[in-house]
Amino acid sequence: MPNFNIDAKKDMTYDAIVIGSGMSGGWAAKELCEAGLKTLVLERGRMVEHVKDYPTMNNESWNLELRGAIGPEDQKKHFKAVRSGFVGENNKHFFANDEENPYTEVKPFLWIRAHQMGGRSLLWGKQTYRWSELDFEANAKDGHGVDWPIRYKDLEPWYTHVEKYAGISGEALGLPQLPDSHFLPPMEMNCVEKEVKQRLEKEFPGRNLIIGRVAHLTVEHNGRGKCQFRNRCDRGCPFGAYFSSNAVTLPAANATGNLTMRPFSIVQSIVYDEKKGSATGVKVIDSESGEMFEYNAKIIFCNASTLSTTQIMLNSTSSRFPNGLGNDSGELGHNLMDHTYRVGAMGSYEGFEDMYYKGRRPNGIYIPRYWNIDEKTKSDKFVRGFGFQGGASRPGWGAGANMDGFGEEFKDSLITNPGPWEFFITGFAECLPYHENKVTLDTQNLDKWKQPTLAIDAEYKANELALNKQIQEDALEMLEKCGIKNIVGFDNKHEMGYGIHEMGTARMGRDPKTSVLNATNQVHTCKNVFVTDGACMTSNSCVNPSLTYMALTARAANHAISELKKGNL
Amino acid sequence: MNRREAIKNTALFGGASILTGSLFSILQSCKSEPRLSWQPSFLKADQAQLISALVDTVLPKTATPGGLDMKVDIFMDTVFAKLYNAEGQKALLADMAQFDDRCKSKFSKPFAELDKAQRTEFLKTEEASSPKYNGKVWGTAVGEQKPVGFYRSMKSLMLWGYFSSEEVGLKVLNYDPVPGDYLGCVPMKEVGRVWSL
Repeated sequence: MPNFNIDAKKDMTYDAIVIGSGMSGGWAAKELCEAGLKTLVLERGRMVEHVKDYPTMNNESWNLELRGAIGPEDQKKHFKAVRSGFVGENNKHFFANDEENPYTEVKPFLWIRAHQMGGRSLLWGKQTYRWSELDFEANAKDGHGVDWPIRYKDLEPWYTHVEKYAGISGEALGLPQLPDSHFLPPMEMNCVEKEVKQRLEKEFPGRNLIIGRVAHLTVEHNGRGKCQFRNRCDRGCPFGAYFSSNAVTLPAANATGNLTMRPFSIVQSIVYDEKKGSATGVKVIDSESGEMFEYNAKIIFCNASTLSTTQIMLNSTSSRFPNGLGNDSGELGHNLMDHTYRVGAMGSYEGFEDMYYKGRRPNGIYIPRYWNIDEKTKSDKFVRGFGFQGGASRPGWGAGANMDGFGEEFKDSLITNPGPWEFFITGFAECLPYHENKVTLDTQNLDKWKQPTLAIDAEYKANELALNKQIQEDALEMLEKCGIKNIVGFDNKHEMGYGIHEMGTARMGRDPKTSVLNATNQVHTCKNVFVTDGACMTSNSCVNPSLTYMALTARAANHAISELKKGNL
Repeated sequence: MNRREAIKNTALFGGASILTGSLFSILQSCKSEPRLSWQPSFLKADQAQLISALVDTVLPKTATPGGLDMKVDIFMDTVFAKLYNAEGQKALLADMAQFDDRCKSKFSKPFAELDKAQRTEFLKTEEASSPKYNGKVWGTAVGEQKPVGFYRSMKSLMLWGYFSSEEVGLKVLNYDPVPGDYLGCVPMKEVGRVWSL
């Protein structure tokens, strides 16, 4: 593969600019470049080239002084992200520097950022689910938020388009609330998961326990290698077995010869031309030199991630748009959503002591939504629903700290006995779009580039708390009826952000008076600006969102290409 | 996020952050100390002796290497020096002093100077009175964690140090860096020993 062209100084004018290189930005770049558009991808962080820049991918714990843990200095540098429990020595370089990138938590909100080429597509969980008609109809049916301007059928061909390229493994089941993707072979469940599946589906008709659907290759696909079951994904995968911009979309965009990448480029604002009634380009601050540049293009794709995209739009003021680009409705920055996190139950399974597994599967089981999917399953306590992720495993020596005993026998038992089977499920519930859950520009607290930061003011409300209560009850009941012992229920009462599925703040809608974007992700009143990351979401389903960002992006990019050809943009 | 690698990560850090204890003045006997064969970077000599004695009692040498063979005590000293913040270090020393005070009031000797039977007797009492760790899901403990006390947090830390050491990781446990496949139901006797990674 040719090296990336990062010499953006040569040329200040492009056909298209893509702000951000993560999950959705990579797709925008690929679609636009493949259509022949000269495309500039702006990334605020550094370059990370596939494999070459995965320095820790083969580390073993004994190679590291602290065996994978991070010390106080790194904890300070990542003082926000460490709250998630995900930051370690082997992946810390893929998390943004929280000290250099402050934000204000008006109410507690965990905002995990990843500032590098590929963004959070290097760190994501790879759980990959289509949304259903139920999700796109939800707002219209129960009256929360505004109606989505699209339905499942509008997105279905684009789900197909991105799935066939990305490679999604899973099992087709024909569930209406969780439509099937085009699947590569599913990963296997272990003995206890199979046993719990059987019991759960018998005890609870209408509920299913399935293997997680994931963006990991279970067979070779499009020149990428299959998953080797190392479960070291968040260090970068040397086999390119999971979907990331770095391994998949950006190399494809680059192969066309139409891609220019500019790292260390913080987009300060989008430039709006009053006479033309459209955007002409973006202002960029070089994060290293502090210099400001302006790049021009016919179309601009905003893929900086939900809150960063909205931050840029709020900062893009003009006499036409004094409150932020396209913000006639006053909805820009509002209706922030996330999925509730860490409510569920765990316990142990007695049996199968003579069985174990081989390989470290970067996946678990999934229990699709079963509440409020038809009249029969309607709840009088809440609207919408939730799904569970979970799995079974044996703890190995990790069980030792809680075991009684020490000495010869104790030590040798930890080498020969992997400990009792453990099983857990943890829910992810849908969050309603509330106008008052919002982000605003904080002009008092500037970052090191003298730019306004974000103030985040959002919280879960009665419906989400009712969903969490049901999650807890259902989790305990299901584990009990499935023969799990020593059951412990948990509700960590995490605030918003822990789901790391932030959505909304520049929503799509039918009416420019109540939404920011139209049915093809164009800013209603500035049609050559497209927003296709999580900011565009009108509601947030209870399933993981990345696949939907990919599909929406590919769809919008192809609309942009066709409108450009027609001379409409 | 890769929520699943985090299971592994945080299982390792079990003991690191949950130490508490009030401050105590530390009065230690200095006579008849066995000489340390290594230079601690955080612990004082008598404290290092206590840690070494603990490691040797919990993870003695058998047909497989012991904790001291794997320099687990030295690793623990490194963790105290580099992973603990100032507050954690202070709490650790206070907890350690209380542990040894209890030992001295029972046997009139610090833990490091007890014989094997006495060490066993003392650790059994300590173990019986120490709360356990909560379960963890993807990197975060579930529910509110009660302090587990000096003994259990040290046990957690030394297990991490032992099982993440090179010889144990490569040769004692079943090391399979690139499994290639996931097989969900494999007879334990075919795998033989607990997986290393």
